[in-house]
Amino acid sequence: MKERIRFLLEDALPLVDFDTDFLFSELDSLGIASILMILSEEYHITLDGKDATPRNFKSLDSLVSMVQKKMSDNK
Amino acid sequence: MRTKLVDYIASHALFQPDKLALICQGQKLTYKELYNEISSYVLKLKAQGIAAGQTYLFKFHADVSCVVTYFALHQIGAIAVPLEKSLPDEKIGEYESRISNHGPFDETGLADILFTTGTTGQSKGVMISHDTILADAENLMIAQGFTSETVFLICGPLNHIGSLSKFYPTFMAGGTVMIIDGFKNQEDFYQALDYPSCKLATFLVPSSIRLLLLFSKDRLSQYKDKIDFIETGAAAISHADMMALCSILPHTRLYNTYASTETGIISTYNFNDGHCIPGCLGKPMKNSNIIITEKGTIACSGRTLMSGYVDLDMEVSRIGENVLVTSDLGYLDEDGMLHLTGREDDVINVGGLKVEPSEVEDVAMAIPGIKDCICIAVPHPIVGNTLKLLAVLEEGVELDKRKWARFLVKKLESYKVPLLYEQVDAIKRTFNGKLDRKAYRIKKERL
Repeated sequence: MKERIRFLLEDALPLVDFDTDFLFSELDSLGIASILMILSEEYHITLDGKDATPRNFKSLDSLVSMVQKKMSDNK
Repeated sequence: MRTKLVDYIASHALFQPDKLALICQGQKLTYKELYNEISSYVLKLKAQGIAAGQTYLFKFHADVSCVVTYFALHQIGAIAVPLEKSLPDEKIGEYESRISNHGPFDETGLADILFTTGTTGQSKGVMISHDTILADAENLMIAQGFTSETVFLICGPLNHIGSLSKFYPTFMAGGTVMIIDGFKNQEDFYQALDYPSCKLATFLVPSSIRLLLLFSKDRLSQYKDKIDFIETGAAAISHADMMALCSILPHTRLYNTYASTETGIISTYNFNDGHCIPGCLGKPMKNSNIIITEKGTIACSGRTLMSGYVDLDMEVSRIGENVLVTSDLGYLDEDGMLHLTGREDDVINVGGLKVEPSEVEDVAMAIPGIKDCICIAVPHPIVGNTLKLLAVLEEGVELDKRKWARFLVKKLESYKVPLLYEQVDAIKRTFNGKLDRKAYRIKKERL
């Protein structure tokens, strides 16, 4: 899942370094919104503004955790 | 006599010293405290040799010290040059050199130089006078009803007229400016809206409104009795979003404003008036006038116009001495209300920020392996338009979008860096060899 997310996000946001642990500070509002939309669509989960926290967007790993949690909540 | 905005801050410091003037990054300053900070910083700047008529460039971050710097420069009579916080160092050097090429500033009462996108591939340094700032302030105060009770939330870039101009009426009226660092954390935005006031107001570009409608519509509706007014502008807002906002915030005044760095704040329309007229930008405000030229472009006159461009050879399109002609196309309806229909030039509006495609292409042509390229607009679900670079590559070269984007961001502001890239066999050109931009516009409309 992590590599799939990396592929999708790197393609959509070519300027962003997804290896950083300071991902939230690298992103602008468009970047945050793009990630929410891409992950919602790819994994059929509902993500909204409340999910766009610095904790969830700290790194690629934390995005993966957020998706996994949403998917398990959906079950 | 108050001839500068900072004079109003001084006056409020005298007559309502304990009134809250500024809330920013956890700090709260009353008018007395803000004016004291400005006065102290005046001494520091003077000690650094900053004097009246001199320019001072600084990145305008969302913090108290930058606000203090801005007004301290005005107090001295120096010219503030606020820059985007992500501006590459190379650009800062370019701006410094262009300002020094101008020579001494003889223009009357200059306050600011704001660098904005030009139509010739070069950012334009727009000179703004103190009188223009006061005229803009008066326009907004009267048309949108700013009072000393207004708490205005700014969440956009402070070097941009859209956000910076909100200082003008709020501080003139003796209200409170609240600043948050950007819009990416909607939690910060809602926490700011929780501030105990029923006279909250804010400026949101259409893409920020889109984000709120997409990701937190229900939450926004909880503030329906709290938000006094919201202003939008800088780009066209869709009628669907206008209607959605009216429905969510039925008691809030919702303004669509026509403004630019060059013209100042010209007209505004409360689209929550029961009619919600699409594309309407209202009637000219007190200090402004609008005429439509024979070509259908919008021309403006009045005290809010810029003093000129910092580059003396940069052409300003004027009719006579006092009417400035824009590249926006529009018309006035039978009630004298302005409607925007498009642009005459090639500028692409990305979420309220204007990009001249030739500036992007000029930098992209320096990427090794690119033989030819064109920067075009493609539809985007949030920002309306986003940039796409179509490139013809030399044989054996492969498209590497991340490498290219990183090359471009070293020389351009990040919003000018395309999100999308595509290799093509050829770039369409007109019979005389110029880039055929219209062909790509038609293609976009057919998508």
